[in-house]
Amino acid sequence: MSKSRAVAAAAGFALLAGLATACGGGAAKGSATAAFDPATCQGGTLTVLAQQGQGKFDPAELYTSGGGKVPTLVFRTLTTRDHTTGGPDGAKVVPDLATDTGEPSQDATVWTYHLKAGLKFEDGTPIRSADVKYGIERSFAPELPGGPPYLRDWLIGGEQYAGPFKGADLPSIETPDDSTVIFRLTKPEGDFPYLATATQFAPVPRAKDTGTDYQKHPISSGPYVVTSNDNGKSMVLERNPYWTRSIDDQRLACPDKIVYTSGLDSAVINQRLAASSGDDARAVSGDTDIDAGILARLNSDAELRSRVTTGYFGATQYLAFNPTVKPFDNPLVRQAISYAVDRQSVINAVGGSAVAKPATTFLPDQPAFGYTPYDYFPSGPSGDPAKAKELLAQAGYPNGLSITLSHATSQTDIGPAVAAAVQEALGKAGITVKLDPSADDDYGTRTQLPSSEPGFFISGWGADWPSGGPFLAPIFDGRQILTAGGNFNSAQLNDPQVNAEIDAANKLTDPAAAQRAWGQLDAELGKQAWTVPLYHPVYKRLVGKDVKNAYVSQWNGVYDLSRISVK
Amino acid sequence: MPSSASNPVWRRLRADRAAMAGLAVVVLLLLLAAAAPLVTALEGQNPTAFHNELIDSATGGVPIGPFGGASARHWLGVEPGTGRDVLARLVYGAQVSLSVSLGATVVQVALGTLVGLAAGLGNRLADTVLSRTMDLTIAFPGLVFAISLMAVVPGSFPRPVLLMLVLGVLGWGGTARLVRGQALSLRSLDHVAAARLSGARSWRTARREILPGLAAPVITYAALLLPGNVTAEAGLSFLGVGVRPPTASWGQMLSGATTWYQADPTYVLLPAGLLFATVLAFTLLGEGLRTALDPRAKSRLRRTRSRRSRQVAST
Repeated sequence: MSKSRAVAAAAGFALLAGLATACGGGAAKGSATAAFDPATCQGGTLTVLAQQGQGKFDPAELYTSGGGKVPTLVFRTLTTRDHTTGGPDGAKVVPDLATDTGEPSQDATVWTYHLKAGLKFEDGTPIRSADVKYGIERSFAPELPGGPPYLRDWLIGGEQYAGPFKGADLPSIETPDDSTVIFRLTKPEGDFPYLATATQFAPVPRAKDTGTDYQKHPISSGPYVVTSNDNGKSMVLERNPYWTRSIDDQRLACPDKIVYTSGLDSAVINQRLAASSGDDARAVSGDTDIDAGILARLNSDAELRSRVTTGYFGATQYLAFNPTVKPFDNPLVRQAISYAVDRQSVINAVGGSAVAKPATTFLPDQPAFGYTPYDYFPSGPSGDPAKAKELLAQAGYPNGLSITLSHATSQTDIGPAVAAAVQEALGKAGITVKLDPSADDDYGTRTQLPSSEPGFFISGWGADWPSGGPFLAPIFDGRQILTAGGNFNSAQLNDPQVNAEIDAANKLTDPAAAQRAWGQLDAELGKQAWTVPLYHPVYKRLVGKDVKNAYVSQWNGVYDLSRISVK
Repeated sequence: MPSSASNPVWRRLRADRAAMAGLAVVVLLLLLAAAAPLVTALEGQNPTAFHNELIDSATGGVPIGPFGGASARHWLGVEPGTGRDVLARLVYGAQVSLSVSLGATVVQVALGTLVGLAAGLGNRLADTVLSRTMDLTIAFPGLVFAISLMAVVPGSFPRPVLLMLVLGVLGWGGTARLVRGQALSLRSLDHVAAARLSGARSWRTARREILPGLAAPVITYAALLLPGNVTAEAGLSFLGVGVRPPTASWGQMLSGATTWYQADPTYVLLPAGLLFATVLAFTLLGEGLRTALDPRAKSRLRRTRSRRSRQVAST
């Protein structure tokens, strides 16, 4: 998913509400010293402070990575990310509603799942395989837009299917009995278990479906039910009486109540969490990294330092080239720019070394993606202008050249601060950079439409799940050049050999073999300098002082609300 | 400015200490802005060079050292996150802030005088149409309109000029209303009536008989418009629709400083203090000009004020 979508989704995970007042005012006194014990962690109200709302809280419309943060409290899916650890294993797929992560056929085109016994909705009715099938079918309805694009592409007949509301079903999802679901795919997809973590794989009872109004009160299969929902801007979740830990080994569900509040400024969230007064002592940030104000205090404040957690979400910020625009068709020019870039300045522009690591590979530096280190155009931390000048001379620009860098106007990781850092570094190599800002929405549309794509711009890509496939294919697969918009293959690369390697890697169901294949492909693509990787973000997030067992998932870089305790 | 003691305006202005302090600050700021390349050359810095070695990346890019990393080489420290020289950015920012606000004021006054004269001296229809247009521009939510205008104009258009035009075109209503009122009262005076009766054209009457009478109120009003334009420019740049990086402006520096107010207070205080000083200086000068150009205003003001306080006391 694109970075902006990733951010929206991450905000999406966040969720729940502004009414966090009354209860629990003095509940947590002195309890901060007690150690965390899952057996006695129940009770209290957890507040989630977020900048962005959840949007429509319909499992068909949510776009999450690994089931999201708040959605995973309400929607159980066939598989899910490993909730039980903040370590690297958090990037693994584990069964959720299903008994295993899926049985593939020989060539990974048919995937079979069996549901666990004893699963129930919030009204006590049992969860059947037909409910899972119906939930997925709903996500095809044009009335319920959003969600990841893969299902339409992967399931047989998905291209033409328009959802269940007009009576048609999707025959490529079979339910031979109440506990078995079989998916038939158009092509081998070893990553299917990763996709099955999406909220589209949550069961929806057909009898309770209210169409576009379902988002107001979706029927819960998880530990919490939605008791109040203001269009996702603020939400209140309370316990689901039909959920127990005995049928769910992933979620602890410690707080009795979870309140989600959005629309807050990032500085406000950080200040409230740092101060931890009143209900804020039992709060976490939904989508906000610590800022310079907090970072500067960490060295001298051990208590505050103990409340900051670090996490990773596979993502890369990069400079994209469009080789159909001169002079970026010339590999020497692209290489010269790769040498000239000052990654340290770029990292400082987005918040310093605590929240970003320099990137020389397109794949994020986590093993799950198949990370294979390479640095073909070594520029050190601050660029190698001499080498860049040399290459420019070879390319026929001995006196330097003038180019335009497009960027968004908002103060984000694709905004003017990064652009100015790049401009300054390239200037040292004799490359005069003119900045071309456009408003965020325009910027997205412009850069994702091949006919209007600028020659050189700032972009980012975040993982739909921790695997090389969803990271490389949308950017480098020639068949994913979308001429009508929404295109992320910014180099407009259509190389038969690259396409063939992507197909081969997609067939692999063994994660280790797939990782090797994706890593090798990334290393080959890197030589062509289709992009200049700038940095991988690091997530550093703050919690209130009475929050326990708070860790950040290595899958999506957000707090695992299903494991946090405030008692 | 004529220094001859015979000029009564200058004499009265000189007697006003607050106005003189304002004038001194304004002159100093103008000199500083004009001499920006000289100041930075003297310091040996420029406003765009990054200095990664002067900031601590691990703590988010806070300048190393007290007072925002102030040193013999960077007199006012460096910008957090980039290490760019603060003094260089402040003086180059002054160029933008002052030229935009002066330019916008000129546009406002020119447009306002023209429209106001036309309304005051034209026929009834012209007066009605123009007066309603003035009301419209005064009632218009200027900031909102400015934001959208700044956002839609193509990036190739020079931003400072665009800012001048947008602020100017949105802010002439007050001047126009003032000029119209003055023109209406002036046109009934004997010397104007004499000129008209002797057959002078209305344009000539306006230029020769009315404009001189307008000078005092218009100059005063312009001096008071200017600080408003300084803050408007800063506001638009603060909101990210003003001048664009890497060009420095005070509003932009303040916008960038919002996350640094705890970690690096120096970086917030410098542009904020400068903005405050500029607005205060222009306001003091404007007030001083007003009383100097219209000595009766002072006593009139005093009288109204005391009358009002008497009323308050009696209730």
